[in-house]
Amino acid sequence: MKSKHLSFAVLLWCLNMITQAAQAQLEVGVSGGYTNNYLRTSTGYRTFTKYDNRSGFVIGIPVRYHVNNWLAIQADPSYIQKNYEIKRTHFYDGIYQRNTISYIQLPLMAHFSFGGKKLKGFLNAGGYAGYWAGGRIKGVMANVFNSGPDIPAGEQIYKYLQFNQAYEYNEKYEFDSRRDRRIELGLVGGIGVEYLLADKFRFFVEGRYYYGLSDQQKNYMVNQIPRYNDTYVLQAGCLFSVRNLFHHAPVAASK
Amino acid sequence: MKHLQKYILFFSILLLASSCRKENPDLNKPEDYIEGNFSEVFDSYWNGMNNNYVFWDIDTTNWDRVYDTYKPLFAKLNLYDSSDVVKGYGYFQEMTAGLIDSHYDISFKDSWLADQPSINPAYQRKVKQPDYHIPISIFNFYRTIPKKYLDAGSAVRGFTNTADRQYVAVTGRINQDILYFFCSAFNLKSLYENNDPANGVKPVLQAFFDNLKNTKNIKGVIIDVRGNGGGSLADLNFLMGKLVDKQVDFGQTRSKLSNGRLDYSPWAPAFVTPSPDGRNITAPIIALADSWSVSMAELTTMVIKSLPNGHFIGERTWGGNGPLTANKMYNGGQFSTSFLNLVYTSSLIFKYRDGNIYEGIGFPPDQEVKYDKAALDLEQDKQLEAALKLIR
Repeated sequence: MKSKHLSFAVLLWCLNMITQAAQAQLEVGVSGGYTNNYLRTSTGYRTFTKYDNRSGFVIGIPVRYHVNNWLAIQADPSYIQKNYEIKRTHFYDGIYQRNTISYIQLPLMAHFSFGGKKLKGFLNAGGYAGYWAGGRIKGVMANVFNSGPDIPAGEQIYKYLQFNQAYEYNEKYEFDSRRDRRIELGLVGGIGVEYLLADKFRFFVEGRYYYGLSDQQKNYMVNQIPRYNDTYVLQAGCLFSVRNLFHHAPVAASK
Repeated sequence: MKHLQKYILFFSILLLASSCRKENPDLNKPEDYIEGNFSEVFDSYWNGMNNNYVFWDIDTTNWDRVYDTYKPLFAKLNLYDSSDVVKGYGYFQEMTAGLIDSHYDISFKDSWLADQPSINPAYQRKVKQPDYHIPISIFNFYRTIPKKYLDAGSAVRGFTNTADRQYVAVTGRINQDILYFFCSAFNLKSLYENNDPANGVKPVLQAFFDNLKNTKNIKGVIIDVRGNGGGSLADLNFLMGKLVDKQVDFGQTRSKLSNGRLDYSPWAPAFVTPSPDGRNITAPIIALADSWSVSMAELTTMVIKSLPNGHFIGERTWGGNGPLTANKMYNGGQFSTSFLNLVYTSSLIFKYRDGNIYEGIGFPPDQEVKYDKAALDLEQDKQLEAALKLIR
């Protein structure tokens, strides 16, 4: 029994040492910023119809493990919006749908840093997996049953919404399991600068680009027009050493 | 620089992965395909349907299977051989046989098909049904009903012919305080605004509206759309708006939003807006409709059924109630190709207020009274009599 207790104590000690070593190299933090998503697809030959990019936001909890002084592995679990708009133009101006699309996303990146001890530049590169968690659609469509007042004879007409009046909507996006592919895989790259303050807080600003490789639709029809997200992110955040969080003692940045 | 090789390898993998996106298919307007061979004829039609047909959400036709089966069959046909053109006509019949859009109709440009009827799957299904019957003769409405059922001296009837259609309308009173109105098709608002002295429908409408306004104790209103082939959506407010004094919600519509088969807009409410002189009729309002009541006739019936005092007597309707307009308006619906004069198909899907889509199956009556040829031959209108019995 004694040898068992001894083995267990040794194991605990080893784990503690490993954890402490890992804590010294591990940083966690918070980040947030602005997103701008472009849906790479086609409206085909649709009359006066186009897709536009839209803004949104991202919030994340970056976790960074330093392998050495120039390379770290970073994961960045986050909530990110990949919004876009489909709108009609010219005579059909005023008809649109704004899609607010929410993803829970996990980028996993190699973090290459360079520069001085406190102020560094960095590059992030890797891949990500996202889950299309939900969405909201807001827009205006022409309501064929709402013809509105008669247009007097001889009066010019400037908008289709004069024929069929507008119906405004703002509702939750209903997924269609036959069409919607909710898992998204892709590549991610980022560039930024970071600054180590008081050997404790690492502030950073980063521009990032998410390049979706998964069509947002399952392969459900021949001659399907694919839809890919291209998401540009400008974000800022702060990282803390895990050891400092737990031990309240400043630890120098990894060597 | 000692890590340069690792960097190059890493970024090469990233670049390689970035080329994994699929290409957009080469989609063009169906009418832009050149009629050079049957492969073009097939591609223009199949893609036109793939992107513009609005019922893919509920239609059971496997359109991808149609592609796999018929693309090679069409490729074997010679566009300049009359027997192959007729064989191609047969393929179009087979491909479309199960489509639920009951407005659906394909007409052809090819002179070798001039003698062939347009392809209309709903009609072809209809004639095979055991209870199929021809439409009730227009003379039942124009001659028998005024003579036998309408009060003497109250009947007003008329018709007008346009380039492609004849419009017949009849109105009158039954027992002084039951109002009757029949129309064979909808273009009423336009005809009412038309002051051509040869227009026989306008006086009928005027008489019906006068009766609605001036009859103090209306005991019932019968709107007869049996055999009515549909027409202008504007007539819904024009006619039904006279019978209500507040908005009547009776369903929803949605259209295509993008090219994918399942890319739809949200559901927008379908309603009737009362006319400024709309009167709140509290007496029973009865729709008479049958299996030849199509489109606007079905929508009119649905509006009446949505009223608290509304009833529907007759037979299950035709089953084609999705509104139609030009393709560009709602980014879907009808289109043409170089080979096809017109693929006539709905622009929007209609869903009744009970949540059901009656496209392809027809709207059911709440009191079924079947077509009775023997009775009609004896100038007895059992469906109209059932409506009168319900009112009394």
